[in-house]
Amino acid sequence: MSAREDILGRVRAALKGTVAIGAPGSPEVAAPTDLDSHAARVDAFRTRLAAAEGHLEVVADEAQAAAVLSEVVSQARAKRIAVSDAPLVAKLTRGLEGVELVDAADRAGLLAAEAGISCVQHAVAETGTLVLETHSERNRLVSLLPPLHVALLHADAILATLGDALAAVDPGGAGSASRAVTFISGPSRTADIELKLVVGVHGPRELTVLLIDPRTRENAP
Amino acid sequence: MTHLHPERFGENARAALGDEVLRGALRKATGLFGRQRGAAVAEMPEWEALRERARAVKAEALASLDVQLERFEERATANGIQVRWARDATEACEQVKAIAERLGRPTIVKSKSMATEEIRLNEHLEQAGHRPVETDLGEWIIQLAGETPSHIIAPAIHKTKRQVGELFAEKLGIPRSEDERELTRAARRALRHSFATAELGITGANFAIAETGSILLIENEGNIRLATSMPRVLVALVGIEKVIPRLCDLQVFLRLLPRSGTGQRLTSYQSLISGPRAGSGDEGPEEMIVILLDNGRSSVLADNSLRESLACIRCGACLNACPVYRQIGGHAYGSVYAGPIGSVITPGLQGLEKTAELPFASSLCGACREVCPVKIDLPALLTRLRADVVEGRAPGQGQRPRRPRRIEKAAFAFWRWLASDPVRWTLSMRVARLAQRAGLDRLLPPARAWRKGRALRPFAPRSFRERWKEDDRRGR
Repeated sequence: MSAREDILGRVRAALKGTVAIGAPGSPEVAAPTDLDSHAARVDAFRTRLAAAEGHLEVVADEAQAAAVLSEVVSQARAKRIAVSDAPLVAKLTRGLEGVELVDAADRAGLLAAEAGISCVQHAVAETGTLVLETHSERNRLVSLLPPLHVALLHADAILATLGDALAAVDPGGAGSASRAVTFISGPSRTADIELKLVVGVHGPRELTVLLIDPRTRENAP
Repeated sequence: MTHLHPERFGENARAALGDEVLRGALRKATGLFGRQRGAAVAEMPEWEALRERARAVKAEALASLDVQLERFEERATANGIQVRWARDATEACEQVKAIAERLGRPTIVKSKSMATEEIRLNEHLEQAGHRPVETDLGEWIIQLAGETPSHIIAPAIHKTKRQVGELFAEKLGIPRSEDERELTRAARRALRHSFATAELGITGANFAIAETGSILLIENEGNIRLATSMPRVLVALVGIEKVIPRLCDLQVFLRLLPRSGTGQRLTSYQSLISGPRAGSGDEGPEEMIVILLDNGRSSVLADNSLRESLACIRCGACLNACPVYRQIGGHAYGSVYAGPIGSVITPGLQGLEKTAELPFASSLCGACREVCPVKIDLPALLTRLRADVVEGRAPGQGQRPRRPRRIEKAAFAFWRWLASDPVRWTLSMRVARLAQRAGLDRLLPPARAWRKGRALRPFAPRSFRERWKEDDRRGR
């Protein structure tokens, strides 16, 4: 008998007489319920991202985003910048001066890069989390290998709860279009030596989110 | 692997109790995780409902495990994952070894996984000449030192900064340092090299989702992201009890698990991996293999009461809460699964022959049950296993010393004789009260040994029955 048949047989024998019942209640239990408005979601995202030690820069449009991006990169003294293949990343990095852009497929370049720039497909207000999907962008290593990750986020992509994010990455419930979905809350961290928190152990030491929110301008005094 | 001897629990525990460094570290770690957990739970008013839901989802998954596994296999296969099955540790290790052999002499990067530790995969691969590199910082430290994990969340908690500094100086040839940032940077540099050249990545999984054929991995460091993204081939070892029905169920466990483990609202990273790269424009492994591991789990499933231990999500909260674990740490249990849940899982997976001591390593105080995010009734399971040992239902009775058990049996028989008759009971309580007042309890042999370092609560001057009678006489 194959291992598969054997194990499934043992499981079936073990379950003889067991009645399978669906779990009562809702998966949304303990999900925050006060995040209906755009403003509430942005606000909660901002608070939770800060709690997770991520930085946030809010800009009103792409032109402003490009300007802030250039600042962030020069402050980090990043000369080699890994970029994902998203059109927005290409657009915003076009004006960067004195830097070398590294393609997301260039392993050696990625390992040497001082910053990585990617988009973010969704974000979660409940936890201050970024959600990166791979079906529309090569963002896996760009967001992981360099010590600084700059993430471009449209305010409309901020969802209320983790449940909303799970529904967004797999709308049909039959398999995500992305082979990898990465949820990111703050920089890479460890406390494995005497429980002392150190950031940047394997992944980025710093996470900066560039939030593009046109409503910022409307609300500006 | 010097510590994997559950049959030597007593000896191991005594050694741990004599290790001041270990005990200090344990106090710090379990105290910190416990406090952080308390704070994280306090801000969730619906915590109880959340636990109920998680318990129900796990119960549903386990009660239909065959269906869930077949569904997972079908969906995962459709995503391009090769699904394999392994009856036991040897079979699982052989499968991984075969994959490594096919790749020649690949650089192997491993991320922390209880399942791979359970089957002793590293030993197996090393015997075949492979050099798997652990990449979780704590796991890497103890791999360099040739030791085993002492805590599920902080595996190297028993090592001081100074010891880590000396270890790195010796093994990596770097200047000695006692700065945790410096040491962490050195680890990053060394392990980056392994990741850059790795051809085979080996991980576990926190959850397998039947509905989508995906696995979910939870971490803080980023080494799991690296191990699942960089190597050409990815192998995930997944216990068959890890499967949950639906993707939306994950939100329940994501709210529970980090809060229970470290007190974080969410860990830094979760990776939902549903298959190898989708095409030449995609990133990730070219080949992905999931090995579904039984290794005793189906036998636990067959036991109606022990079954609920398969719901464990490996958060470590019961370890931090356990007054026994807090004193002796993980090594004493002689198994990769320590603490209250370990004392149930290890006998469940291995049988009681060598593990008969473990169910007794508990004060049955119930702290573990109180913190368990999936509400496993650990004291009840420990009591049940104790009964198996005492009544000889389990093989390997002889592992427990016979004499104390005979005394224990006699003592309980005597107790039953006393307590089942009102006259005998009242009389014995009066005698015991007088004996305590006279200090006799400090002199009699079994009581004297027990009282070394412990104090009995004094009897009340008047018993409840006596007070009731008096009040009755006064007409109240």
